[in-house]
Amino acid sequence: MKRKWLSGPYVLWMVLFTLIPLGVVLYFSLTDSMTGEFSLSNLASIVDYWPIFLRSIWLSIFATLICLVIGYPVAYYIAHCKPTTQRLLQMMIMLPMCISFLLRTLAWVALLEDTGIINNFLTSIGLSPLPLIRNNGAVILGMVYNYLPYMILPLFTVIMKIDPRLIEAAEDLGCNRRQVFAKVVLPLSVPGIVSGITMVFVPAVSTFYISQKLGSPGTILIGDVIESQFKAAYNPNLGAALSLVLMVLIFVCIGVMNRFTNDDEESMVTL
Amino acid sequence: MRRVNRIFTVIVFIFLYIPMIVLAVASFNKGTDIAIFQGFTFDQYKELFRDDHLLRLLGNSVIIAVLSMAVATVLGTVASVGIHSMRGKLRSAVMGLTNIPMTNPDIVTGVSLALLFAFVGVMLRINAVLGFWTLLIAHITFSLPYVILNVMPKLAQMDPDLTEAALDLGCTPVQAFFKVVLHEIMPGIISGALMAFTMSLDDFVISYFVTGSGFVTLPVEIYSYTKKPIQPKVYAMFTLIFVAILILMVAMNLLQARDSSKKLRRKEARG
Amino acid sequence: MSQELIRLTNLVMEFDGERVLDSINLYINDKEFLTLLGPSGCGKTTTLRVIGGFLTPTSGDVLFDGKRINDVPAYKRKINTVFQRYALFPHLDVYDNIAFGLRIAKLDQREIDERVTEMLEIVSLKGFENRKVTSLSGGQQQRVAIARALVNRPKVLLLDEPLGALDLRLRKDMQNELKRIQQAMGITFIYVTHDQEEALTMSDTIVVMDKGKIQQIGRPEDIYNEPKNAFVADFIGESNILDGVMLEDCKVKFFGRTFTCVDKGFEKNEPVDVVIRPEDIDIVEADAGHLCGTVTSVTFKGVHYDTIVDFKGFKWLIQTTDYCPEGSYIGIRLNPEDIHIMRKSEYSGMFGDYSSYSAEYDEIADAEGSEDET
Repeated sequence: MKRKWLSGPYVLWMVLFTLIPLGVVLYFSLTDSMTGEFSLSNLASIVDYWPIFLRSIWLSIFATLICLVIGYPVAYYIAHCKPTTQRLLQMMIMLPMCISFLLRTLAWVALLEDTGIINNFLTSIGLSPLPLIRNNGAVILGMVYNYLPYMILPLFTVIMKIDPRLIEAAEDLGCNRRQVFAKVVLPLSVPGIVSGITMVFVPAVSTFYISQKLGSPGTILIGDVIESQFKAAYNPNLGAALSLVLMVLIFVCIGVMNRFTNDDEESMVTL
Repeated sequence: MRRVNRIFTVIVFIFLYIPMIVLAVASFNKGTDIAIFQGFTFDQYKELFRDDHLLRLLGNSVIIAVLSMAVATVLGTVASVGIHSMRGKLRSAVMGLTNIPMTNPDIVTGVSLALLFAFVGVMLRINAVLGFWTLLIAHITFSLPYVILNVMPKLAQMDPDLTEAALDLGCTPVQAFFKVVLHEIMPGIISGALMAFTMSLDDFVISYFVTGSGFVTLPVEIYSYTKKPIQPKVYAMFTLIFVAILILMVAMNLLQARDSSKKLRRKEARG
Repeated sequence: MSQELIRLTNLVMEFDGERVLDSINLYINDKEFLTLLGPSGCGKTTTLRVIGGFLTPTSGDVLFDGKRINDVPAYKRKINTVFQRYALFPHLDVYDNIAFGLRIAKLDQREIDERVTEMLEIVSLKGFENRKVTSLSGGQQQRVAIARALVNRPKVLLLDEPLGALDLRLRKDMQNELKRIQQAMGITFIYVTHDQEEALTMSDTIVVMDKGKIQQIGRPEDIYNEPKNAFVADFIGESNILDGVMLEDCKVKFFGRTFTCVDKGFEKNEPVDVVIRPEDIDIVEADAGHLCGTVTSVTFKGVHYDTIVDFKGFKWLIQTTDYCPEGSYIGIRLNPEDIHIMRKSEYSGMFGDYSSYSAEYDEIADAEGSEDET
């Protein structure tokens, strides 16, 4: 029973560098930026940013759903390949993630610009250029592109683990192929769906680079606001308050989602 | 149905790889505008190897990645053994702690650590507190959960009698760990370490908040290009990194494939 | 004949307030083959793990050669274990698995070589030195596990259902093999099983356990012929168990009739459990029997027929080579030595009635017993 003390250093580290920092965030969000005294003004001014919060949530829910709709068929396809093909495709899904997402986003800028690759091509064949960038659509595209692998991989892991005998059993009991999917495959992939949604939604709702490069001043997200509080406006107290609210919102979202599934501690599928 | 799915999967893969292609093509471009190809050249690559600054930044990224991987792997593996022997509430508490950096958005993790470091800096009257050490601490913190989540399942899969068998045959608990348990959980440790390494190498958001001007990593530097035009030699660098990772992954894949086919043959030979 | 090696006194084991072992008192002699027998969850594996040093008892003592070893860790005990699922080290080959304990003890290479080779011969695995353990069959893995434990020349070998994963034929072979090895090496074996036949075949002494308590200790013959209570009677073999009253020494009354038996030492008119083994009952013509009843079911079992006979609403199992068709009215005779008397216990009335008899009772019992226990 002494063995549990082996995790002592780790627990100490995590308390020091995850729990206490969150305490510091709480402290900063409850103090005034000038006087350093207790104040609720930071939290009160959150109201002004409420539309931006809503837009962030709205856009990332949209991006998450698109990821799910695109990702599920792909994951399903990969899960039903031969093991060698499976490994290859899985690797190919992970490969883009190894390249800085900043550069990949810049590549999208180059593609979508008013004088970018796509519009150059359109003008060269005599069509008029399209307004592809600096709108909500471009931001969602950026989110989907960047976080799609985080949806596909957990889905793939879960679908692959579904025992083929269950599918045979369902067929044996009279399900047609659509019923097999609806009544067996889909319910069994719920853990993968949940962790996929979490892994896409959380980074999407808090992103700031994607919206800076692909969005317009009218589409700034909560991540941009937080970033500017630390790097431009320098009001860490307001930034802390915003972070705190963002964190609580995300925990509420995940909590609500986990209500629908009884998953255990290790259900966060690792890549 | 399967064919439709295959076509769809191919389209998704094209979507994932378009920006890669754009970057690779841009690295051979004579002109500086990424959107207009003005002729083929290797100049960007020559430029790259003359640029000490960029290479040093890459070096910085690698140093941080290697160090944080090493610390996180050792600390995380030891901790996993400890957590594995825990039961009930204590275990869920520690796993909850582990999940905080996993579920918290990167921006909140970054901001909270930045505030902690600033807070400590003020208390200890250190001026430029942000730099190498804060960066290393941050990277270890967000890498640790990946190690834990990769090692824990291997410990759970391991036949618990193996440890007892080693003790039974005269091993002290420490000997039993090094002679038996370590061999069993090695695949988990390796994949955890690899994930820690790539996460660290690729991290921008958290590094952005916890690093100062003294010690900058490659992604943070690339972000600063938002303000000034990006130099095409950066494309050359990432094309090289992409190719290097590609070769590494293919090699690993081939090794794995050979290994598993060997296993298969052995199984067949046994009948 | 031989001296005492291990003694457990008032051993109590509790997990989260649940009592798994309840004051176990037991001594084990040197060179003895002792079997802990009982259904899953009876505490037999827990007892074994306490002796092996993997569990520290909540209270009570474990004595080894007269010395208290409660706090001696497993790796310092001169005791080795053969684990239920073998627990062979998958990253080592056969040779390295067997040599593991010797290397830990830092013996020199020549002696390791000698002892491993000798062991391989004993378990008939010569030529398998460099095979991966994962490529071996169940029976071969079993032999490696035994060799790995015995090569350390322990005073005691603990075996936790070592044959549970093998098929029937192999199990029978290994039973003989184990007994042979035990006698050849002169080592104490403590063997855990839920298989009563295995226990009867191999053991010098059987300890029957249930609900964390020892129900009976004795030689196989004694356990079978003189079960102490209804649980033991039912668990070891098949038994018809009836309510009776002991009128005086050697006189017992049940089913309204007085029978002569060979048991003594009960109170006058003491209520008792009467055990009659199915194979001890002789079937005779209805008018010549002590008791008469109607055959309600007959099942062919190979060597004999399982015949269920209804005696005034109480159904008996009779194992006989004579075929009596369903519905026939028969009589039975009981000899005095076939009637065993037991004192009443908490198990009285729970066993020994074949009203819900099913031809598959053996299989059902087996399936239940093979579950893992902690």
